[in-house]
Amino acid sequence: MSTNATTASVRSTISLHKLGVFCGLAAAVWLGSAEAPTKLVTVGFSPFIISMGMVMGAFVARWTVPTLLKGTGFLFTDLREKPHLIVWALLGGMLWAVANTLTIFAVRNVGLAIAFPLWNTNSLVGLFWGCLLFKELRGSQAKDWAKVIGGAGAIVFGAAVLAIATAQQNSGAPGRATIGIIAALGAGVLLGTMYIPYRKAYISGMNPLSFVTIFTFGELGTVTLLTAINTGGISPLLAELHRARPMLFWPFLGGFCWVIGDLFQQYAAKYIGIGRGIPLSNTNQLWGLAWGALVFGEFTSVTTSGRLLILVGSTIMILGAISISMAEPAPSEKEHWDRAMHRECNRYGLNSDSVAAVVAGNDPLADDKQQRRWWELVIMLVAAGIFVWLALGTRAQHIYVSMPWMIVLILGTMIPLGLVGTLLWRRTRFS
Amino acid sequence: MKRSNFVEILTDVHLWVPVVVLILGIALLMTLR
Repeated sequence: MSTNATTASVRSTISLHKLGVFCGLAAAVWLGSAEAPTKLVTVGFSPFIISMGMVMGAFVARWTVPTLLKGTGFLFTDLREKPHLIVWALLGGMLWAVANTLTIFAVRNVGLAIAFPLWNTNSLVGLFWGCLLFKELRGSQAKDWAKVIGGAGAIVFGAAVLAIATAQQNSGAPGRATIGIIAALGAGVLLGTMYIPYRKAYISGMNPLSFVTIFTFGELGTVTLLTAINTGGISPLLAELHRARPMLFWPFLGGFCWVIGDLFQQYAAKYIGIGRGIPLSNTNQLWGLAWGALVFGEFTSVTTSGRLLILVGSTIMILGAISISMAEPAPSEKEHWDRAMHRECNRYGLNSDSVAAVVAGNDPLADDKQQRRWWELVIMLVAAGIFVWLALGTRAQHIYVSMPWMIVLILGTMIPLGLVGTLLWRRTRFS
Repeated sequence: MKRSNFVEILTDVHLWVPVVVLILGIALLMTLR
């Protein structure tokens, strides 16, 4: 007890709401930047193969980052204490994989401009489930409901405006519109529902780093199965992957960046809930836009009205994010969050004091010195080896790249990683 | 995993909502192909 009290006193005292908001915004930066490496993929490859490359990169990242930060001893202890959550982690990964495949169909049929805002409604679906199943926003005042729902709606609306403004450059083949729209809406529902496992894990006291190590098996397994079905079997899939070898480094790198963004999103879901955290991280479109416009010069032919629309869409999105950031849950809402947590503790026989401490960012195990295992070094070496092997002989599409802007945006991506990562460590020890 | 936990998992609405959505999503995907 005295040890915990001492360690708690040396930790940062930043509020969990502020920490969660910073995590949501950092997630947006990294999720948006994850699109950049895939732009360097040479043309002529199936989107399923590119998606599979990203998921393989994500698989590597989802094991190396948690191992580096907490060690496998901590991760296995956490999983052993809440083994029932393995089911939800796998389920979350499967939902993501099916949703991601649906987005590919949507983009093919109606283009990114229509598809993106439709599946971006996932934040509204998440908000609905958060409120219904986890008592988020319950007990809060009308102004907080307005800030969160208005903010989430503004972010979706801003996404729609941005998508329309950039449609000329990104649209896919027209036709079969109904199928595309249904696929995009379906992806939105699946992605929004994927946040149920996230939130369930975190109100049960699971560490986000443990959750993602299991999530990735559901993700990779389902994506492999779906890609094999779409390419005609395992042998054609392996042949396609072999053919894609010279470009696989880029989606791998994108997958790695995506995982860092996703980890911040997981911490946002943990500390401010899915109703607030997911809309904030869904502002990633702004960062994807910044990479496209500033680094790759994609929007040079956009008309003045198009530029105005981009400005309006971005502003609406930023205002939505500000609105959610200012909606700190009142104590009356926190009581409902506690009830949701106690439901899990009673149902699955968890120690409610310990879970409450973890939910509050004060994991009693977080300060314990974890013994490092030899296989952790092997995991790191294998991960580094895969990236070096893929980087050798990699070819990139010869497209315009603005180096000054690339340096600015890389810095703009690394700074939130350093700052928010440090805040997370100081306040929660990554718990 | 304890047997009682297994029953709790199977009767948990938090399980069935995502499972039903996943099944519908897979069905949609197969239809679109």
